[in-house]
Amino acid sequence: MSSIKVRAKSALGNQQVLLLIVLVAMIIGFTAKSPDFFARPVFANILSDWYPLVLIAIGETFVIISGGIDLSVGATIGISGVVSAITMEHLTNAHYGPDVTLCIGFFVAIGIGLIVGILNSLMITKAEVVPFVATLVTLGAGEGLSVVFTGGSTIGGGPSNAINLSVANIFQLFSKPGLVIIALVIILGLYLHKSRFGRYTFAIGSNPFAARAAGINVNRHLTKVYVLSSLLSAVAGYYFYLRLSVGAPTTGVGAELQAIAAVVIGGVALSGGQGNYFGTILGAAIISVVASGLLFINVPANWKQVVVSILIFVAVFLQQLRTRVRK
Amino acid sequence: MNQKSTPLYEVRNASKHYGSVVALDDVSLAIHPGEVIGLVGDNGAGKSTLVKILSGAHAPSHGEIFLEGVKREWASPHEALEAGVETLYQDSGLAPHLSVAANVFLGREEMIPGVLGKLGFLAQKKMDVDAHANLEKVGIAVPQSSRSISQLSGGQRQAVAIGRAVSWASKVIILDEPTNHLGARQAGEVLSIIRRAKAQGLGVIFISHTLPHVLEVTDRIVVLRLGKVVADAPTSNFDAEELLGTITGLIEHK
Repeated sequence: MSSIKVRAKSALGNQQVLLLIVLVAMIIGFTAKSPDFFARPVFANILSDWYPLVLIAIGETFVIISGGIDLSVGATIGISGVVSAITMEHLTNAHYGPDVTLCIGFFVAIGIGLIVGILNSLMITKAEVVPFVATLVTLGAGEGLSVVFTGGSTIGGGPSNAINLSVANIFQLFSKPGLVIIALVIILGLYLHKSRFGRYTFAIGSNPFAARAAGINVNRHLTKVYVLSSLLSAVAGYYFYLRLSVGAPTTGVGAELQAIAAVVIGGVALSGGQGNYFGTILGAAIISVVASGLLFINVPANWKQVVVSILIFVAVFLQQLRTRVRK
Repeated sequence: MNQKSTPLYEVRNASKHYGSVVALDDVSLAIHPGEVIGLVGDNGAGKSTLVKILSGAHAPSHGEIFLEGVKREWASPHEALEAGVETLYQDSGLAPHLSVAANVFLGREEMIPGVLGKLGFLAQKKMDVDAHANLEKVGIAVPQSSRSISQLSGGQRQAVAIGRAVSWASKVIILDEPTNHLGARQAGEVLSIIRRAKAQGLGVIFISHTLPHVLEVTDRIVVLRLGKVVADAPTSNFDAEELLGTITGLIEHK
């Protein structure tokens, strides 16, 4: 085999390296076209788009590697944010003080996430409905209930200090919740690739029969995976509340497609059992950079979807090419 | 076949009904340490049902199970596994995207010592080394235990699957069609793994359609037909023709 072929093979073999190159190339490209792009506030803004996306994309990564799919992540963002906002609005007159109220709001959001996760996993493991349908049910029900609960309007009137929390005041780049999310991302990444929990997730996605024969309680594990995904969506929902200081029923609509896009661009196989966490992180970063970058070069925001779709195609195409080269 | 010692593993008068269908009808089977039993029968004879009962996947409708003379009721295959009864299912196999070591240790992962281990972090390097050693011990040489199963040939995969089962089994190993889809040389390797397991004092239950393999490696053959045991005799009592006749019912074996 010629050395060029060998090198092409190893470069293709590492999709993460490729993604990193794409990410850097995009940043250079946007900066070349519009020098204002390369500035701290811009990157702080890209990061604040990235935080909620990477949260749901990580949940989706666990789910997809386990051989399933979670379509309800966006709806969970919406309903957890909305219910949390309604609770906090009611509590503002209760003299708890804003910090306690925000804390209660957080746990309400988490509670909603827990409920969605349990519903998903009950449908999948007990009623044996395929994950696509089960999470489509919670997607529809969640989005519908968000509108019902709010009457279709946004819910403000919560603690006034919420918005301060999401200000990027650490190196003018990171917000405090952002750092918490980054820490969470790192921990969960280690968990996926280095822990028994992660190992079982891969094993179930790779061959559920082998996993069961090895004594793994597949249903219990899948329950944990879907609950994890919903909890991360709820954290994302709460993050949106902090960032916008309101809970809106439309927040998170369509976010499931972005999460799946980030995962697929990151090289996780939709057939399960395969994938790398770092790819998802980069996939989400690329989507966030595209979103901001297009605005800087005066391309209408709706082009973002077109660009992301093309990226999905390229990523999957390269993935298939790589498998073919290997064979 | 009148061994006086307590059998290693035994089912007595086991029956299994699925609704009105009788899959297994009053079947008894006993295996002693260091013994290889061939379990044969036509499709639908009840082999799979018996395997499921032996491996703990299904409970019999009637009948009892004894391990080393102690009555057991398996709530799950996991319970049987932990008691030392290991089963290699025909098609459950391995997780193809996982490494050899990850498959060998699947469900039995070892953790790093200390706090990280308590949090569920894996001792991957140790398992890589140990997996290789475990497989070597049962007579399997796999190049690298960090390679993923999908990169191995069919024969190597089967070798890993069997090696995994044999290396973990402490008492009984049930092998459901382990030589299926294998070439002659690879099947030969599987048979030598079985002999090695026997030499270690394990009880081996070998289920196969490939009668020459059964005749070659077993000490005793149990023939099932229509859910009943129609023959249970030392392998030396059979030749290929007679075994086939017993399976199909053309010969009444007494």
